[in-house]
Amino acid sequence: MNNSEKTALIIGGGLAGLEAANKIGGAGYKAILVEKEEQLGGIMKQLYGSFPRWDNPRELVDQKVKMAQENPNVTMKTNTTVKSAHKKDQTFVVELSNNEQMEFDAVVLATGFDFYDASQYGEYGYGAFDNVLTALEFEAKLKEMESWDKEDLPQVVAFFKCVGSRDRSKGYPYCSKICCMFTAKEAGLMKDLNPDAKCFVFYMDYRAAGKEYEEFARSVMEDKHVRYVRGRPAKVLPENGKLMVRAEDTLMGVPVEVAADMIVLANAMIPAESTIELAGIFGAKIDQYGFIDYIPGHPTQTGDRVFFAGGCGFPVESLGAQYQGAAAAADVIALFTQD
Amino acid sequence: MLNTADFYHVLRIDQTSNSLREEIKEHCHTDIEMCLECGKCSGGCSNAHIFDITPRKIIQLIKVGEEAKLLKMDALWSCVACQLCVDRCPSSINIPRIMDYLREKAYSQGVPASRPNVELFHELMLNNIKRFGRVPEALLSVEFNIRSKQYTKDAEMGMKMFFKGKLNPIPARIKNIKQVQRMFRDIPAQREG
Ligand SMILES: Cc1cc2nc3c(=O)[nH]c(=O)nc-3n(C[C@H](O)[C@H](O)[C@H](O)COP(=O)(O)OP(=O)(O)OC[C@H]3O[C@@H](n4cnc5c(N)ncnc54)[C@H](O)[C@@H]3O)c2cc1C
Ligand code: SF4
Ligand code: SF4
Ligand code: SF4
Repeated sequence: MNNSEKTALIIGGGLAGLEAANKIGGAGYKAILVEKEEQLGGIMKQLYGSFPRWDNPRELVDQKVKMAQENPNVTMKTNTTVKSAHKKDQTFVVELSNNEQMEFDAVVLATGFDFYDASQYGEYGYGAFDNVLTALEFEAKLKEMESWDKEDLPQVVAFFKCVGSRDRSKGYPYCSKICCMFTAKEAGLMKDLNPDAKCFVFYMDYRAAGKEYEEFARSVMEDKHVRYVRGRPAKVLPENGKLMVRAEDTLMGVPVEVAADMIVLANAMIPAESTIELAGIFGAKIDQYGFIDYIPGHPTQTGDRVFFAGGCGFPVESLGAQYQGAAAAADVIALFTQD
Repeated sequence: MLNTADFYHVLRIDQTSNSLREEIKEHCHTDIEMCLECGKCSGGCSNAHIFDITPRKIIQLIKVGEEAKLLKMDALWSCVACQLCVDRCPSSINIPRIMDYLREKAYSQGVPASRPNVELFHELMLNNIKRFGRVPEALLSVEFNIRSKQYTKDAEMGMKMFFKGKLNPIPARIKNIKQVQRMFRDIPAQREG
């Protein structure tokens, strides 16, 4: 068999999967990408703005999708996923959800993360009160608010971080890594839409470890005047048409209240059920939570001829998802070259 | 003259003791080192508005071993054990259990409570549990009013509750009172010295 006929299956058409497909295709190997949704682009396609450079996340994915469409080695199948697979020597015989059967020489898992169900925090009223949204829902709301009259825009918005993260009682013990940054971004974008709005970010810590991250978060506080309150909110209660937030300002050691029009919850990013299922199908390693795990010394590899990239391994920002997609592609390319 | 030490009291945190933390771990099955210092407990505490030291700070004081301060704080006697803090705490720190432990410790060491009559109330309530296996509110109120010499305290509310059938003037004993009494025998909560 001619090496250039080697084919990789990429599962998931978000930023990580697109990057892997583009690189594998660019190296002259075949890349088939399956995306279970109608639309490519994953989470990035649903965002209103992005940290740390305030650029347009949808333009970035559109550019990656266009590259893939223009690459004759890349085939993208939307509304498609993997039904089953078995290994035959060095290849995977895969049955897709459209009943197509295909053979692949390597697999890249790029299925992204899922979200913690915020209604498990009864005290925050998600699901019970209309104006309590998740961070992802708020990105869509920001878009919607572009066309609202100024007097209809929320005047007071409270952002709660670590909802279901860093919680050994009702959630997950780990830090979801990117929510400090996207919360800063969302609060800043709210201020851009309505500079008169008061935005409060309730935090335990703010984590801004990354190139330009600290500067970004500080600019949200100093230039856009978002107020950071150190304390994890205790409860939300409806009061006179507002949502009364109660917390302790742990720097002052006093209870504080905010009568908010809208509350945005940075709910934890968690492993997706379908990722765990795929890991079983392809013999990939998973960690104690269900995120894809790496083979020590091989940070993009999780099994024999199985690689992974992006949020299915752990919450990651868009730049990291691209790095990982490219790195997984490099490993696939190296493998195909040796075969 | 102002005593600045009252409001600017420097803690020598290199000279603190871990013993209280360890006692709490053993007796309350709760590890305060798991506390994330988030303040969710204080923010939502039902009675924080009358606490001299709020729950998060209590945990912090245990960390630095400020036992004397903890045993005489008023919050010991204002915690209503509503469990809201434990329910919401991301580390399930059992604050009401810790409060119980500290209260018993303060009581057994004879540290006076900062409010009048709280120990009397505590004593009468435990006594009633010992006798009846429950707390007959009417009897407890009457006993308390007599012993604290506040003869008409809450009498009006008591009458109203009585007429609404919410207060039973005749104390009833639970069926298995022997079990309760055995519990009291097994754990004698007596004052030292
Ligand atoms: C609210 C929010 C705001 C954010 N803001 C920013 C920001 O400002 N800047 C930034 O850098 N990052 C931001 N991020 C992070 C960014 O979204 C991620 O880094 C990026 O989406 C990761 O890409 P991915 O390809 O790994 O996963 P995803 O984008 O989740 O893509 C995974 C894709 O896989 C598909 N899929 C899943 N399972 C299957 C299956 N079984 N079969 C087929 N397809 C499947 C999904 O449908 C999806 O399209 C934000 C994230 C959130 C949640
Ligand atoms: S990134 Fe920030 S908001 Fe998200 S879990 Fe970590 S500390 Fe909490
Ligand atoms: S809620 Fe729990 S973790 Fe948070 S400060 Fe209180 S005791 Fe500590
Ligand atoms: S149990 Fe005590 S400390 Fe905890 S919330 Fe209730 S009153 Fe406050």
